[in-house]
Formats: sequence, structure tokens, C-alpha cells
Amino acid sequence: MSSIPVDAETKVGAAPDLAAAARAQDLAVRLDGVTKRFGNTVALNDAWLQVRRGEFLTLLGPSGCGKTTMLNLVAGFLFPDNGEVFIDGALVTDVPTYEREIGIVFQNYALFPHMTVASNVGYGLKARGVAQREIAERVTEILAMMKLAGLEDRKPGQLSGGQQQRVALARALVIRPKVLLLDEPFSALDKNLRSAMQIEVKEIQRKLGVTTIFVTHDQSEALSLSDRIAVVSEGKIRQIGTPQEIYRRPANRFIASFIGEVSVLRARLERIEKSEAVVQVGAASITVPAGPLAGQSPGITVDLFVRPEQLCLASGDVALEGQVATTVYQGDHVDLYIDAPAAASTRILMRLPSHDRVPGAGATIGLAIGGHDATAFPAVES
Amino acid sequence: MKTQRRPFFGLFATPGVLVALLFAGAMVMVLQFSVRLQIPGSLDVGGFTFRNFTAMLHPLYARVFLDTLWLCVLTAVFSLVLGYPLAYALVRSRRVAVKSAILIITVTPLFLGEVVRTYSWVVVLGNNGFINSLLLDFQVIAQPLRILFTLTGVTIVLVHVTLPVVTIMLAAAIAHIDTAYEKAAESLGARPVRVFFTVTLPLSGPGIVAGLATAFAWTFSAFATPQLIGGGKVNMISNLVYQLGFGNFNFPFAASLSVAGLALTFASIAVLRLALRPLEKVGP
Amino acid sequence: MAQPRSGRLLFWCGRLVVVAVLGFMILPAVVVGIAAFNAKALLSFPPQQLSLRWFVNVFTYEDFQVGFRNGLLVTVAASSIALVTGAAFAFVLDRYTFNAKRVVEGLLLAPLVVPHFTVGLGFLILAAQIDMSRGYGVVILAHVVLVLPFVLRSVQISLSNLNPKLELAAASLGARPGRVLLTVTAPLLLPGLFSGWLFAAILSFNEFTASLFVTSQQTQTLPVAMYNYVREYADPTMAALSVLYIVATATLLAVANRYLGLGKVLNVEHTR
Repeated sequence: MSSIPVDAETKVGAAPDLAAAARAQDLAVRLDGVTKRFGNTVALNDAWLQVRRGEFLTLLGPSGCGKTTMLNLVAGFLFPDNGEVFIDGALVTDVPTYEREIGIVFQNYALFPHMTVASNVGYGLKARGVAQREIAERVTEILAMMKLAGLEDRKPGQLSGGQQQRVALARALVIRPKVLLLDEPFSALDKNLRSAMQIEVKEIQRKLGVTTIFVTHDQSEALSLSDRIAVVSEGKIRQIGTPQEIYRRPANRFIASFIGEVSVLRARLERIEKSEAVVQVGAASITVPAGPLAGQSPGITVDLFVRPEQLCLASGDVALEGQVATTVYQGDHVDLYIDAPAAASTRILMRLPSHDRVPGAGATIGLAIGGHDATAFPAVES
Repeated sequence: MKTQRRPFFGLFATPGVLVALLFAGAMVMVLQFSVRLQIPGSLDVGGFTFRNFTAMLHPLYARVFLDTLWLCVLTAVFSLVLGYPLAYALVRSRRVAVKSAILIITVTPLFLGEVVRTYSWVVVLGNNGFINSLLLDFQVIAQPLRILFTLTGVTIVLVHVTLPVVTIMLAAAIAHIDTAYEKAAESLGARPVRVFFTVTLPLSGPGIVAGLATAFAWTFSAFATPQLIGGGKVNMISNLVYQLGFGNFNFPFAASLSVAGLALTFASIAVLRLALRPLEKVGP
Repeated sequence: MAQPRSGRLLFWCGRLVVVAVLGFMILPAVVVGIAAFNAKALLSFPPQQLSLRWFVNVFTYEDFQVGFRNGLLVTVAASSIALVTGAAFAFVLDRYTFNAKRVVEGLLLAPLVVPHFTVGLGFLILAAQIDMSRGYGVVILAHVVLVLPFVLRSVQISLSNLNPKLELAAASLGARPGRVLLTVTAPLLLPGLFSGWLFAAILSFNEFTASLFVTSQQTQTLPVAMYNYVREYADPTMAALSVLYIVATATLLAVANRYLGLGKVLNVEHTR
């Protein structure tokens, strides 16, 4: 289950090969070369996506990148200009929403304001012609599971944000959908409630084993919830992989800077050995994946992307020297912004535990680079 | 597949299209009657002619056109001046009871219809009416004031007719001004008068233009008011159209007057909007 | 909170102006109210003797009875047709793009600016040209055209305030378009539909100028009968009828305000 980091220009998970066809029955959702235009703008450009049965897949990207369009295409709210959509192996490209057997939770939940909680949750069952008694049973069952028992006769306006979200989730799950779609469902909640709900949703998803496609622009949400993440930008899927793969082996500069915090250092390419390359920053040699540097000749300048936690204070064989510009107290840690004009054109971010002795603004410090998670890309002239 | 993605389209659009066609048909009728010859004593019309339009240049008719325009301008301006404070109070009053009272008093006349409203004013302005009785009783005047059958009288009642709609439009505009702008101005040291004239008033510009245009069009449309208050002494185009149609059975001429009137209204509103364009281009 | 003196002065001046304008608005209603109870046939202020005879007159005068019945018939028919047509078309305008969309919308809204006497004249000629008798049909159709813009606007505002995700959610739960319309869209539009219908009905019942052109002796509505009465008689019967009118309309609007929030319907409520 390893993903191959690819360049921005190549398609991810391109044309289904034989192996993929053999696994077809394991796929809950498949987008095959889907293109969607709105007027002259291309929202989605030849996108290929395969979602495995039971997995929690996140579509992550900045706003306007096409991730919501992808979700709408799966839901049947939009229809593609090119390409096909499959749900559970069946071609649904032209099938209307109400025949797709999907469940969706919107950002503001879209609970029917004129119906009670019970009517909201029972709505999908009623539309399917399920018998009154069975509806009552299944609604009671799911409300109990969602810790909503006793709220049956409330109207959505009388519920808290967290309760509303649970009702929306219950309403989507009670119909036993083939795929659950989550459209930024946590962004309307305040911070504490949000993390509690994230854990809850993840647990329920695992318990029911329902295939879930989750759309968000919040990378920390994506990293903590997903089985796999698909990073989307400008209408294309740029990389698919586990959170670890996306974080530690970003396929390109965009993903490296979009996921997590990162500082860019100037480095010199020493040599490339098979799958690894060595770059030099100051007195330090750092090993990085060779993929992004393929074809580059030793001696050139490359951009080294380092995470704040990879940097530490050092004396002696330092990678670079710099001056502390600002320190920002964050509770459990302190963020240090460091000016090092010789090594980086922008400020470098590093993190120290707050109980450590933290150098003050103006102090000159030496930095070493630890760990193996740094990535390098050919330098771009800016 | 296409129809499935546009549920109810045909079913829901058809009645509206039919009504639109009906209205278009009625307007086309007016248009084509306006260029036809009258056959005296008959409701049928003769051949093609422009004589109806040239006949309008007669001083008698030109006078009515000018009176109509002048009344429209007066009414629009007075409605704006009186309607703005009312609209402001309606939107900004903090007490629900005050809001409701203003709203009901303002909106009720809008739904009363011209006849009831005009008749009420006859009772107020007439020679034996309320105002004259009052002034005579307190010996402010010796002879009843002549307000009925004068331009002043007609203007007063027309303002009363258009004031509600202008107030509603201004109120809608004021309601959509974010009070943060006013608070910002206050925080910068502007006193209430300055805040009003530098922030609130300019930001309600689009509402002012819309209100003026609507007042103009509504006044132009008035019939019972000039008919009953003007009493034949003050005539507007509407009265002329009715008299030519039902008095002289000259429907072609009535139609051409309507067409000319419509053209005049649209032209006037276009000029108004052009002149007040800076007011409209305000805000985000 | 101490306000500067100029601010307070302005505040009271503003209040005075508002009260004066409200007085101007309400003056004719008050005066007519007084006149209606005057015992003498000739208008005079203040009334020497009070009487209810003019109210009795209102209910016994035959033209008013006929006019009321005709008016009611025309109003019920016209406002109902306008409601169905306008609401359906507002839905179409909100959801779809199609050829001549703006043209049809423009035609339907045009009666807001085209003078009623022109509309009346148009329908009169149209009816004559297609040899339609001057019966109820032409009156009702003219009224439909005149009140439709109000239904259209009212439903359009309600539709634009409707969260489109609600319908998408219903569809995702397996509801077909018809079910979505009946269980989600229509119930949520109900206030807009009702206020649109109410406005249409009140306006139709009070419509005068166009009605004067298209009604005949047999089909004349109440406002036309009232107009004819004023031209013939000068006694306070009309004052009595006006009082009834004003009271009925104000009551209806007060009720509508209580339950629908006129401010919201008329779009004059503070958005923030």
C-alpha cells in the first residue's frame, strides 16, 4: 500500500491497469477521468480517484481547488462534462442523486427546520417507503447510538451545534448509504467541540465500516482523521497516500508547503544514490528522497524543505547561523522566527519546548537539522 | 436525461409565459391602435395614420403633458423629503411598538386603493371640508380656501398616494446599510449630523434614486386623484385617455396618448437615473 | 449617556418631523372617520349630531352589494391564479436559465411601471378585438397581470432565502423531485406564498383604474361602484364605506405583521 510520489505533471492513479480492474469489487467509489467546467473555468480536469470500501478518504486542498466539485459529482448534485462516476462498481454518471444511495453531511448540516429531529432522521426511510414501525425502530436505534435519545421531538433550532451535527450524521447514516460524504462538517463548530466531534465521527465510521469521503481545507483535520488523503489543487489530484506519506514524502513543493509548517533553506546537491540524495547546508549533510531531484546534477542549488520540529539548537557543526527575530509563546512550546539571510530568503520557523531556556529576540544561534523527513526540490528563481 | 435535471420546468414555466404573452398582447393592441384612424361612432378602427401623434401637439394637449410632468416632479420630490425621515425612523427605531405603528400607518394607505384615499381628501380639502371648517371656526379666514380643483390640492393628495411606496423603498435601502459604517464615523469623532450627511445619506443613494423613479411612475399612473381632486380643472394624461375613450369613443387617439405617455415616463425616468448616477454608484 | 446638545436637538427635530408626516398620513382617515358618523347629509365639522345611518346606507345600496360580490369573485379568482402562476414562475426563475428568461420576467414585472390606465385600455381593446364580451374573464385576466408582480417578488425573496442545501439533502436521502418540492420546498416557502397571496388579494380588491376600463355595468367591482357613487352623490355614505375599508385593511395588515413580520416581507428589516 505504498504510494509513489509523482510529479505535478503526471496523473495520479492514472488509467486503470489490470490489477486495478481485478480489485474493482473492493472499490466503493471510482472517478474515471472526470472533467467539469463552469463556463470558462475548469473546476476539475481529468481527475482519477479510487476509494476503497470502508476507508476514510479525505479530499484536501485550498478553497476553489475542485474538491467540493468532486464531492458534488459523487453525490449527483453535478454531472461531469467528461469521464464516468462509479459507486459500488455500478456506473452512476447519469443517475440522479435520489437513486445513488449516498449520505451527506453539509457544513451547516441542512437540517429541515420545519421538521422534528425524528422526522429529519426518518426522512430518507420514508422516501424509500419503509414501513412506519420499522422507521420508528431504526430512528430510535440510530438516535441512541448518536447519544440523541430524548430529543426526538425537538426542532433543529432548539439544538446545540454539536447536537445538530449528530442529527445530520444520524440522518445520513440511517439509510445505510453506500458512501458517506462529509462536506467540511466541522468548520461551523468551535475548537473544543470540533476535536470531540472528530473523534466521535471517526469512531462511528470505523464501527459501521462505512466508506467515507471527507472534504476539508484544514490539513491538521485531514492528517488526524484519514486513512488516506488526496491532495487537490487547481482541479487535479496532486498526491494520494496515507497521512504519513503525505507529510513525510510530499510529492512537490505545493504539497510540502500546504501540509504542515515548513521553512525553505538554500542547500547544495552533493550526490544522488539510488533512492536517496544528499544535500549540504552549511556544515551539515542531510539525506533526502531522490525522487524530486531526479536528473539534477551535483553542485546545483536546491530548496530544502524542513519542518519546525526537525530544527534544534546546536553549537559546533551547525547547518546554519541566524538571529532570533521574534519568539511567540504557544503554551506547551515556543515558536522562534529566525533570520538567516545566508541560508534562507524567508524567516525560518523552529519550535522549542516552553520549559527549555529559550533564546530571546536578537540572540544569535546555531541550528542543526535532525531526523530524516526533510525534502528537497530543484530551486526556483523567484 | 435533460428533462430529469430540470424537474417541473415546462409545467411551472408555462402559466407565467402565457400571462406574459397576454400582457404583451394587450400592449401590442395599444400600440397598433395608436397608429390607426378613428371611425367616428364605431369601436372599429380604420387604416394606418400618424395623425393621432401630430394632433397631440395642439396647445390643449401639450398643456396636459406639461402639467402631468410638473405634477410628477413635485410629487416625487415631496415624497422623498417627507419619506426619508419616516423611513429612517422605521428602520432605526428600537421599540417594536413604534416600528409596527409606523409600518401599519405607512403601509395601510398603500393597499386602500385610489378611490378611498382620494375621497377622504375631498372631505379634508373641500369647501365645507375639515380644513376650511376649522379655519373658518377659528376665524383665521373669512372665505373658504380653494384647495380642491387646484394644482396644490392635487399635489397634496398625490404625495399622500406615493409617500408609502417611497418610504418602503427608502427603508429597504437604509436597512441594508451596515451600522458599522456609522459607528466607525462616530468613533472618528463625527457628530450625529455629520454622520448622517456623510455616511447614512450617501449610502442610501440607490434607494433614493429608486424611490424617486417609482414615485414618478406611480404619479403618472394616477387617475382617480386628478379626476376627483382636479375636477376637470387640473388634468393629467390618464384623465385625457379616459375622456377620449369613454367620452368621445376615440380609442385610437386614447391609445396614442397612452403610448406617448409611456414613452415620456420611460424617458423621464431614464433622464432621472442618468442625472443621479453618482448617487447610485455607492457602497459595495 | 449624555449627548451633545446639537445631537439632542436634532433628535427631537427628527421626532417632530416623523410625527408630523405620520399625522399627514393618518389625517384623511381620521377626518373620514368623523364625517362618517355625521347625521347630516352635508359635510360639516364638527358634526352636530351623530348617527349610524350612512353605515346602514352602505349595506343597503344595491350597487355596493353587487360591487362587493363582483369584487370578491374577481379577487379570489385573480389572486389565486396569480399565486399559482407567480410562485411557479418564481421557482423557474430561481432554478433555471432559458431563452428569453429576462424578457418574460420583464414582461411579468412591467405592470409595476406601466400605468394602470394603459393596461386597462390594452385589455379593453384586446377583448374587443378577439370578440370577447366584457365579462368577468377580461377583468380577472387584467387583475392577474396587475397583481402578479407582487406574488413573483414575494416568492422570489423567499426562494433566495431558502438554503439550497436543504433540497440537496432531501435528494441525497432518496426523495424524488416531487417529494422534495412537497415536503421541503413548499413548506419552507409558505410564509412567502401567503404574504404574496395576501398582497395580491388586497391589491386586486382595491384596484380601480384598470377596472374602470374593463368592467361593465354588470361586472363593476366595488372601487368602480364607489367612484360612480362619489360622482353622483355627496352624502357621507362613502365616508362610512371608507371607514370600513380602512379598518378592514389595517386589521388585515396588523394581523399579517403579527404573524408574518411585514418588515421582513417588505424587506425593510435590519439585516445585521
